[in-house]
Amino acid sequence: MEGQIETMDQGVLGHLMALEREGMGPQDQDESQRLEMLKVRAVTLRAQRDKLRRQADAVKILKDKISKDLPLDDADADAAGGFIDLQKSLLTAWRMQLKDLQRAHHLIGGYDLVECKEGKSVCVSFHTAFEGVYLETYNMELDLTRTMQISRHNIPPSFPLESIAKQTLQKDLKAFLQTLSQKLNALAGRRQQVCLLKELVGSVEVMESNQLCSILVLMCTAQGETPKAVLCTLEYGDLTQCLPTRVSIECEDKTLSESPQWKKNQSLLLESPAHTALLTMRRMGSIA
Amino acid sequence: MEQKYEEEIQMLQQEIEMLEAEQEEILRSISIEHGDRLQHELKSVFEERGGSQKPALSKLITEVRELEKDLRRQTEINGIALNECFVKTLHKSERKLVQQLRLAGHCSVLLFQVEFAVTEIQEDDALRRRVTELNLVVDGVEFKDFSAFVSRVEDTKDLLLFFRTLRTFSERCEERRQTFQHFQEKYPDVVSLPEGCRSELMIIRSPQLPGTSMTIFWKIDVSMEGVVKPSLELLLKMPDQAREFDTKKVMENGSNYFQSLLKVLGVEASIEGLIRTVCL
Repeated sequence: MEGQIETMDQGVLGHLMALEREGMGPQDQDESQRLEMLKVRAVTLRAQRDKLRRQADAVKILKDKISKDLPLDDADADAAGGFIDLQKSLLTAWRMQLKDLQRAHHLIGGYDLVECKEGKSVCVSFHTAFEGVYLETYNMELDLTRTMQISRHNIPPSFPLESIAKQTLQKDLKAFLQTLSQKLNALAGRRQQVCLLKELVGSVEVMESNQLCSILVLMCTAQGETPKAVLCTLEYGDLTQCLPTRVSIECEDKTLSESPQWKKNQSLLLESPAHTALLTMRRMGSIA
Repeated sequence: MEQKYEEEIQMLQQEIEMLEAEQEEILRSISIEHGDRLQHELKSVFEERGGSQKPALSKLITEVRELEKDLRRQTEINGIALNECFVKTLHKSERKLVQQLRLAGHCSVLLFQVEFAVTEIQEDDALRRRVTELNLVVDGVEFKDFSAFVSRVEDTKDLLLFFRTLRTFSERCEERRQTFQHFQEKYPDVVSLPEGCRSELMIIRSPQLPGTSMTIFWKIDVSMEGVVKPSLELLLKMPDQAREFDTKKVMENGSNYFQSLLKVLGVEASIEGLIRTVCL
């Protein structure tokens, strides 16, 4: 609006010219702006490349000296101001090794701890994985100011966090983290099995499951002269585990659930993850 | 003009990527091939800092110190110490990263070596991470019954499960070692550990009762799913002449008595009780 009022002051002709500029201008401007941006980008990249080349040279010299067991602070390195560069490379090499170690710990450890709020609290993240696939990461902030307390977290409300905290949090932080990590991984594993089941064995219907995945009711069709509906109920009594503690097979035809084939299926479901068990059952021709 | 710049930018980006990868590789090889020399040189870098003549390095030094502190905490809390870490980038693009990792370390006294590949794919705003090609080597007398679990983990690529189980397993082994050692020190004439304090075997034998012995097998079983479960068993040995006087059938029922004792008193008090029977 202000711009319009200004142009109004300069009369109709001025106003028209302004409109024309507005209509034409941006393209020209865009183009020159774009060119300018490309130029700036090229210059920055060139500088970055030159810097990297210098660093690469310093690193090569460093490696050469180290592998020939030469001193790093000899006269010619010092004269060229290269000594600092060499020290910088040393530090960079060590930083890289430390970062690799940190990454390795993150991949194998199951949880990370980071101090925050100047040591007044710690943030913990719990990694979960099932059969090599990394799944959800849960986070938690522990308040350290008085007695240790959970101040925030994103763990599902159905998870028995409070009882675990009551048992171990004050007494033994490590035990608390280990128990939690184990139970969160088991939860993630049970959830992932339901996902894989839906994805891989479409003929089996998930009738019922809960947030904790502590119960799973599946409907499958038994192959035979006449296909029969079979209800498999998997109960996960041990929440630290991915496998059920009880499996029951129900069918209108009582002889079926007592048959040797279905007894075998029952133990398959007890001993292997649900999706693998059902895939095996399908391969054996037991279910559709 | 515009095209010229664009071409140059693209070339520069490629060159930068190459230079970065090259530099990374050389730096990694320095810390892997010449770790000792690197530590030695770094010591002098850190010591010189008192003179503070190198502001160019101070930021890097602070960063390294922070990382060291973080790693110490991580090692402490995970109970896993890494002595060797070798990372090789096999593929790197904007969306995908494939790395090969070789790690060696220990969890209390148990040694391990792990080799695996990890693939990370950036999908929308989620990072998908997957472990492939997992190889495990464990070393120590404790690992007698561990092999079935190890091969299952190798099949399922469950890296987190392996380390979780290793941690619990090593804690149980440590408890056993401490208990065995405690009794051997307390009753050196009676208690012997023929296969060392880290094995599952402890023998109670009184010098006054030749031919009579009580052997405790303290096993630590690991199931395929990684459930660690210690179990104790008692084996009694008595000379034939003595068996004639065994009216209470101790030989026959001793092992069951021991199981009930374990349930009531716990491990340490039960073993103590056994030792006292021969020390009297």
